[in-house]
Amino acid sequence: MAPLLEVRNIKTYFQTQDGIVKAVDGVSYDVNRGETIALVGESGCGKTVSALSILRLVAEPAGKILAGEIIFDGVDLLKLSDEDMHKMRGARISIIFQEPQTYINPVLTIGRQISEGLEFHKNMSPREGMQEAARLLKLVGIPHPERRIYDYPHQFSGGMRQRAMIAIAIACQPQLIIADEPTTVVDVTIQAQLLELIRNITKEFNTSLILITHNLGIVARYAKRVFVMYAGNIIEYGSAMDVYHFPCHPYTAGLLASVPRLDEPRKVRLQSIEGQPPDLIAPPRGCAFQDRCAYSIPQCLNEKPPLQEIGPNHYTACWVSQKGTRPWQK
Amino acid sequence: MTAQANIRVATRPHHTLWGDAWVRLRRNKLAMAGGIFIILLALAAIFAPLLTPYTFAKQNYNAILQGPSWTHPMGTDQLGRDTFARLLYGARTSLAVGIFTQFIVICIGLPIGSIAGYAGGKVDNYLMRFVDVMYAFPDILLVILLRSVLGGSIFNIFLAIGLVAWVNIARLVRGQILSLKSRDFIAASRAMGGMGRHITWRHLLPNSLGPVIVSITFNVPRAIFTEAALSYIGIGVQPPTPSWGTMIQDGFGLIFAKPYMLLFPAIALALLMLAFTFLGEGLRDALDPKMRR
Repeated sequence: MAPLLEVRNIKTYFQTQDGIVKAVDGVSYDVNRGETIALVGESGCGKTVSALSILRLVAEPAGKILAGEIIFDGVDLLKLSDEDMHKMRGARISIIFQEPQTYINPVLTIGRQISEGLEFHKNMSPREGMQEAARLLKLVGIPHPERRIYDYPHQFSGGMRQRAMIAIAIACQPQLIIADEPTTVVDVTIQAQLLELIRNITKEFNTSLILITHNLGIVARYAKRVFVMYAGNIIEYGSAMDVYHFPCHPYTAGLLASVPRLDEPRKVRLQSIEGQPPDLIAPPRGCAFQDRCAYSIPQCLNEKPPLQEIGPNHYTACWVSQKGTRPWQK
Repeated sequence: MTAQANIRVATRPHHTLWGDAWVRLRRNKLAMAGGIFIILLALAAIFAPLLTPYTFAKQNYNAILQGPSWTHPMGTDQLGRDTFARLLYGARTSLAVGIFTQFIVICIGLPIGSIAGYAGGKVDNYLMRFVDVMYAFPDILLVILLRSVLGGSIFNIFLAIGLVAWVNIARLVRGQILSLKSRDFIAASRAMGGMGRHITWRHLLPNSLGPVIVSITFNVPRAIFTEAALSYIGIGVQPPTPSWGTMIQDGFGLIFAKPYMLLFPAIALALLMLAFTFLGEGLRDALDPKMRR
């Protein structure tokens, strides 16, 4: 069966005063029905922009999707009319944003914001929408939902607001949910609860999930496949197992080494990746990671490595790996 | 804690945004005094026939230019009309001007401002240049012009004042919407499939309502004063309909002989304008989310 979502070679650029920022520069990935994939990378590597591109919510006129195809259930989203795109958003693809405090309207009750999508897409009356909103709030684990729907956002705690955001996202039972760092603003115990909640819901409704995160710790547990992004490109992808145990790109290896581990002696210093990500206005000619890479070879300087299969369904864009060596592997 | 107690905590009364604002407004004594004065004056204007045996047009040539007395608490004018009665009926004119012009202002300013703010680009540019042109005219001159084009009925005076005053609201609403448009919850609504009109109506306008209400409250005394000024120069409300402006003008001629003729309407006008200003300031503080405790 064809995958639910195929993102093919999209380029999303931003026009700024200093020049064109190539935030997403030829990214491809696919999501199968009911599958959870993870999009991993540090801040500013293009994770969020690539996700917003799917919904065509990149802030215009500065940002523009210049090339590529986004095939969702057989339809190219980039070719849809605005009207048809409105019917797509929320109903079949929805998004859980990072910061619930700013993504929820402060002057509307929680219930009305949940019922909003239901009124657009399922033709519910406001009254039916509120009933459904109460059911959804119960589903995401908020006590006394039938009263809480009349609450305003400032009466909710951060964790509860994120739960309400999840309720908004699942309201119309979309086929694909994009979770853009859904747990960065809540504390660790709530993080685990929320992720379990998202996982249970996606399992129950057979929803596909794109989990955008910079927290590699949660990826292994929730995602089947992992796509690692760096400087607007995907530099490695494969099954979570492969990427974790045999990282084929020094950047992935660096990310993994910088996750604190409880099973290692405390004396070991946490590793970090030295340097800054490259300027996306004028990215380096060769590999974007070369000046931070301890293993770079002369080829890295001049030629941009393509994504190549290095193991079964495991791809990497690294010359060193593609020559068959992995010096970062201990 | 028992389950019973849990439920009680959850059923604690909800504070809506407007409820919060009301609580804060009530703490502001000056604003409350202003509000009460406006309400009392409105009631007095509505029930004027019950408060005074005289009417605004009844002339009594046996009692011309009398000082305050038990029969005429504020005296009479040069035609023997009771000043108190004229003041009460004049309040009808003033309050009607205040309210109806703001109604017109909202009907024009709110849609133009929100369309310009939401649509942006060319539409915004054209609409705002039009607003700039309107803004560049001296207000009172434009009102006089409109008034002479439209004719002299009281409704046309509301219309003339309203047609001049809407530009402020249009600018205010546009500014509000421009700044709200880039807020994240608007992106969230669009991600749920929200479209232009819905987003403007449900998300943008309610969020910009606070400053609009405050501005309206400040605009009311300006409109009242404009009407009084028009009446003062003789092109406002036509006699015998009383207006505080006409009464001040009548009194001004006799300022040294019979000062109370000027004093009572002038004090009334000043009090009403102060009342609206205090109420407006109170509302501004109450509706400011940063003031929330």
